[in-house]
Amino acid sequence: MPAVLWIALHPPVLSLQAFAATLGTAQHALPLALLDAHRIQAVNRVALQLGVKPGLKRATSLALAPQLLFGQADAARDAQALRALAHAALAFTPSVTLDGDESGGLPCVLLEVRSSLRYFGGLAPLLQRLQATLAPLGLRVRTASAPTALGAALLARWRSGFEQGLHSGNLRALQGQIDTVPLALLGAARAQAGALTGMGVHTLGDLRGLPRDGLARRCGEALLDELDRARGDRPDPREWLTPAPTFEAQLELFERTDNTAPLLHAAAILLARLVAWASAQHARVGGFVLAMQHEKRHRAGPQAPARTELPVALAEPSNDAAHLQTLLYERLARLVLPAPTLALHLRCAQLVHRAAPNGELFPTQASAQEGLLRLIERLQARLGPERVCRPLRMQDHRPERATAWQPALLATPHADAPPNGPTLTRPVWLLSDEQPLGERASHPLLDGRPLQLLAGPERIETGWWDGALAVRDYFIAQAHDGALVWIYRARLPLSAAAGEGWFLQGRFG
Amino acid sequence: MNPVSVVAAVARTAAPENLHPALWRAHQLARTRTAVLDSGFAALDAELPGGGWPRQVLTELLLSHPGVGEMRLLAPALAGIAAGAAGSAHNIMLFDPPAPLCAWALGQLGVETQSLIVVHGRDGAQGARHLLPSADLLWALEQALKSGQVGAVLAWLPARLRADALRRLQLAAQAHDGPAFLLRDIDVRLKPSPAPLRLVLHSAGIDTLSVRVLKRRGPALAQPLRLALPPVLSPVLRARAEATRALAQVMQGRARHPAPAPL
Repeated sequence: MPAVLWIALHPPVLSLQAFAATLGTAQHALPLALLDAHRIQAVNRVALQLGVKPGLKRATSLALAPQLLFGQADAARDAQALRALAHAALAFTPSVTLDGDESGGLPCVLLEVRSSLRYFGGLAPLLQRLQATLAPLGLRVRTASAPTALGAALLARWRSGFEQGLHSGNLRALQGQIDTVPLALLGAARAQAGALTGMGVHTLGDLRGLPRDGLARRCGEALLDELDRARGDRPDPREWLTPAPTFEAQLELFERTDNTAPLLHAAAILLARLVAWASAQHARVGGFVLAMQHEKRHRAGPQAPARTELPVALAEPSNDAAHLQTLLYERLARLVLPAPTLALHLRCAQLVHRAAPNGELFPTQASAQEGLLRLIERLQARLGPERVCRPLRMQDHRPERATAWQPALLATPHADAPPNGPTLTRPVWLLSDEQPLGERASHPLLDGRPLQLLAGPERIETGWWDGALAVRDYFIAQAHDGALVWIYRARLPLSAAAGEGWFLQGRFG
Repeated sequence: MNPVSVVAAVARTAAPENLHPALWRAHQLARTRTAVLDSGFAALDAELPGGGWPRQVLTELLLSHPGVGEMRLLAPALAGIAAGAAGSAHNIMLFDPPAPLCAWALGQLGVETQSLIVVHGRDGAQGARHLLPSADLLWALEQALKSGQVGAVLAWLPARLRADALRRLQLAAQAHDGPAFLLRDIDVRLKPSPAPLRLVLHSAGIDTLSVRVLKRRGPALAQPLRLALPPVLSPVLRARAEATRALAQVMQGRARHPAPAPL
């Protein structure tokens, strides 16, 4: 057993898929091509069937396929997608490194997993888990494993997949496989690939057969060095990747949009990257900010903002992309955009490092509590936090101040038990603004019918210290239909606004 | 076994009410497959299918105006849920209540305020009687029912509600393991509703509620039920009020039919 085991993840169509993420769902069936300096760099399958090949000029390809959709190759966009892949890999092992991005061509994420194998129960379950974790990122990935980092990278680039993975357990087998790998896959050999092919060198095995000193003079030390590292003849120290302390990701939309469906589609990709970043640090997201960059030309006025920020705060930190997406959806559905959106920007600095909640096999108190929390969170995201609230008993005699309201997610302090007498002393329904009652022969009227006073008065005289003086006599009265109401008579005409006479305060529901 | 008892046994098993829990005869009360929730009023329980408030379905309570005693009618069941009668879900969600609630009164009724969550629709102003339901409120109500994490749901819905909205709520309620009460205006009693239990509530005097069963899975009930609610007045005050009322009626009657003058 070798002391190290590397898994290489190679996204073969990274730039194309990173570009396709910015498209709406309607454009996915169209032929796509990425342009780099007026030449086609990558095409999708539909375009390939129409005869469009990488390397063609823009005009040539348009002649072949007039409906071809062009995008600009963008190294920064590709790097962001690759970084998300690396973050997802960081959830499995702390030893993750990127390979091949400086040479441009064949990017690879490399994981050293020997120390994690026992935890995940072997290579096959680990690869399965890895595949499930990478799926939401929407990238096609080829994998390979080998005892050397470069060896694994070569195998992944060569031909491999999750189905028919090329997994080489020992060094000797790897060296045999490397000998058959095409020359162009080795980073350092790509520059001289033409010259070497002319010499009849097609595979790395052919290259190894050449005299070393002559090859070093002709092609430089780097080529031999890389070959030796791939074969395990030379040590290959790596610098491990560490995720940034704050998450920033940007996605430029292919076309400006003014409804939420394409925004949500694009935000889902950003959220998947956010979750990958959070799980790389074994933490959960406590909140994030989605900023929408607006087009200048279509803004409503000069004072219209250039970007709309949508902060989403979570009551319970979560790593569930679907949950984050629902919350964002509720917020986006309420939002009126001042102008069409060009780009999305996702920022997150609120990471909660805490032990992950336990999974439950059967529904328990804790899982029910979490489900309720999520429900409240969803309702609050759509309706606003002030519309989902809990009542709170306050120590005040004035009925309008005896009940306070607070957002439902805050913990309620344990209230004292109410006086538990044989009868109800307060009505369930308290009218928010007391309704003045008519009066006939000093008897209060409700809906034109006299009220029969049954109990009272209960005198409440309080609040002289906070400017809301209440001097009232409360009575329980019966309306003509038999229902009981709570009314009061203002004892002193203290101010013109408060008025005097009889008022309906509540109903005994 | 003699042939007569065999025939009787066959007849007993072939009786529709023994074949399937969803079958019952028109003169019987339906049985429910799920456990019901004790309403706290024995007279009411006796007339409800299964013997209590049904779970997983909507229950409509129709009243002419808020404050006839509907909260005191529901209070025993709600207090039971807050104390854990409905399994792990202790919470009671109120959607668009017609007026602000008094936390002290609820506490006196035994409903702990920690277990209450009040949800207001976005455009529904507090206390205002609006005609159309807000889309947000119906959405929130459906979410709460579907989540299955809420112990009981009370929703005050306006009279003009599309039939498909009610139908949708009824479907969502199947995931909700607790009672779901819709409190609506009495005007809708003539409109059809998918709720299997519909009651009309009227005030019938001091601390008394008259409950007319408009629809239930069972035979029609001719007489409304009279339930004694948790009292507001002490027995002494109540007796005095009733005496006053009787006296007033006698006086009124005397004024209308003056006694013949003695000779």
